[in-house]
Amino acid sequence: MTTITATDRIPVRTRRRPGAGQDNLSALLTLARRRLALSASNPREIFVPLLTPLLFALVIAPALATLVRSAPGLDYRTYLAIGTAGLLVPLACMFAGLGVVVDRQSGARRELLTAPIPRGLIVFGNLLVAVLVSGLQLGALLLATYLRGAHFNATATGIGWFVAAAGCFAVAMYSIAEIMANRIPSQEEYVGAVPAVAIVPWFIAGSLFPISALPAGLAAIAKALPLTHVLALMRYGLLDRHGAGLRDIWGMTNTTVMAALSTAVVVAYAILFLVLALRVFRRTAVR
Amino acid sequence: MIEVTQLGKTYPGGVEAVKGVDFEVRSGEVFGLLGPNGAGKSTTIGMLTTTIEPTSGNARLAGFDVAKQPREARRVSSVVFQEPVVDRALTGRRNLILHARLWSVDPGAAARRIQNIVEVFGIGDVIDRPVASFSGGQVRRLEIARALISQPSVLFLDEPTVGLDTRIRYELLDLIDDLRDENDMTTLLTTHYLDEAERLCDRVAIISAGRIVALDSPRALLASLGREVIELRVQHDPQQVLGLLRSHRIAGDDTFAVGSTLTIPLRNGTAGEAMAQISELNVATTAISTRPPTLDDVYLRLTGDRLAA
Repeated sequence: MTTITATDRIPVRTRRRPGAGQDNLSALLTLARRRLALSASNPREIFVPLLTPLLFALVIAPALATLVRSAPGLDYRTYLAIGTAGLLVPLACMFAGLGVVVDRQSGARRELLTAPIPRGLIVFGNLLVAVLVSGLQLGALLLATYLRGAHFNATATGIGWFVAAAGCFAVAMYSIAEIMANRIPSQEEYVGAVPAVAIVPWFIAGSLFPISALPAGLAAIAKALPLTHVLALMRYGLLDRHGAGLRDIWGMTNTTVMAALSTAVVVAYAILFLVLALRVFRRTAVR
Repeated sequence: MIEVTQLGKTYPGGVEAVKGVDFEVRSGEVFGLLGPNGAGKSTTIGMLTTTIEPTSGNARLAGFDVAKQPREARRVSSVVFQEPVVDRALTGRRNLILHARLWSVDPGAAARRIQNIVEVFGIGDVIDRPVASFSGGQVRRLEIARALISQPSVLFLDEPTVGLDTRIRYELLDLIDDLRDENDMTTLLTTHYLDEAERLCDRVAIISAGRIVALDSPRALLASLGREVIELRVQHDPQQVLGLLRSHRIAGDDTFAVGSTLTIPLRNGTAGEAMAQISELNVATTAISTRPPTLDDVYLRLTGDRLAA
């Protein structure tokens, strides 16, 4: 134990320099750097969500591809590789939300709440890092599957559709994670709720097979899920220029229009959940 | 510097935690909110630090209304919370830098202040370690250091020594005492430790069940009970004994009974004379003693409850 020796004088309070108001962007970056440092200090938060999708894409997908005959011009291994992205992003965002539970229970959240910044920036700071980490994980997944033999048919426009879908989906999923992290009392309960949110939709959203193969009732549910639109957009962007997944949803012929509609759906979900996340955060942060 | 007018908080479900309190804290003053757990101290601090929304009244920090100008109010203040509120995975220095950035402290000035303050607070040798490796006392000193990095006009210390062992507690009291001597910031301290309030505070408000029941300097509050009190533990009905003592003018209106113990502030005469008079009345006692009054006596007289177990 160090003994306190108050030999030096504490600096006497001085006036702040004029115009030194809190810059929101600077505060946002500070909060994002903090979240990044916390995530980096806990590598499990980054690597564990990557593990299952990576194993699926590298081991199970190629094995399945040898059994399943692909549609003409479609590589099932690549189809599944993109499908695993629909598992990776929710898992990554849910793990990021776990950090919010820790913050709330034993971290510096209350200190952040007394900072002279708009409180919504705390959510946006976490969101930025969640989207960034999801993006890096997604890149690692695609690179690994490419090295394992997946064949992507990417153009600049296609990559644009893919990035837009993945980005908006990450925003939506992290917002859901933030809502859960603020509403669910303990880490144990939060972890228990993750499979229902992150994994169950994956089975009916066209990850492993087209939604047209589902019974009509389930197909209707699938069309309402953001993940179905995301996967259709991702495949349209990187694999299938004919947009078979989009056609299964919209039943139209113009793929650009269908892609725009699905993007609009994903953007709408992202905005809806983000607004809800901010609202829940404000309600739970201030009593 | 702090102006509180009819500030109240009723939680959903109807729990009225703070019932319209009024007080003012002058610039540079150390002001104590003294009361047991559940009295409304932390709720009051929560409202002043804008983490709890008042349901009535208003409060200003350095002229900024905490409800209407919360960011401005937060800009001029810092808080040390009752429980540790730190990023344990980050280093102590990183926690300090984070605070400095969020409070818009110039990076160069922040680096100089951090260098200075960690030495003053005796955490220079651990500051670059993760906070998870800090002892409880080091964490608390880090939190106080962090609160000072932004050189706040108002510092809130919410039960700053709760849960610390005696030695660390006294070290921290020394530290807070030094801050009081060397800075002109206004400090609002909540505590249920009487010695903290007596030692550190210029004035204290005693809060009970959400209301302020007394507000004055510790010295004035103690003076209200005279120089000395007799503590009398009786075998039979204390209220009956109290009535007897009052009828013989040994006990005044400020005498109070808690359980089987009567506390009798001495107004006139000496303790020896009073004890002789009690002896003459043949009151059956199990113990009798004299001592100087404490803030606990003040609190007990005002509320009929003890501050700390």
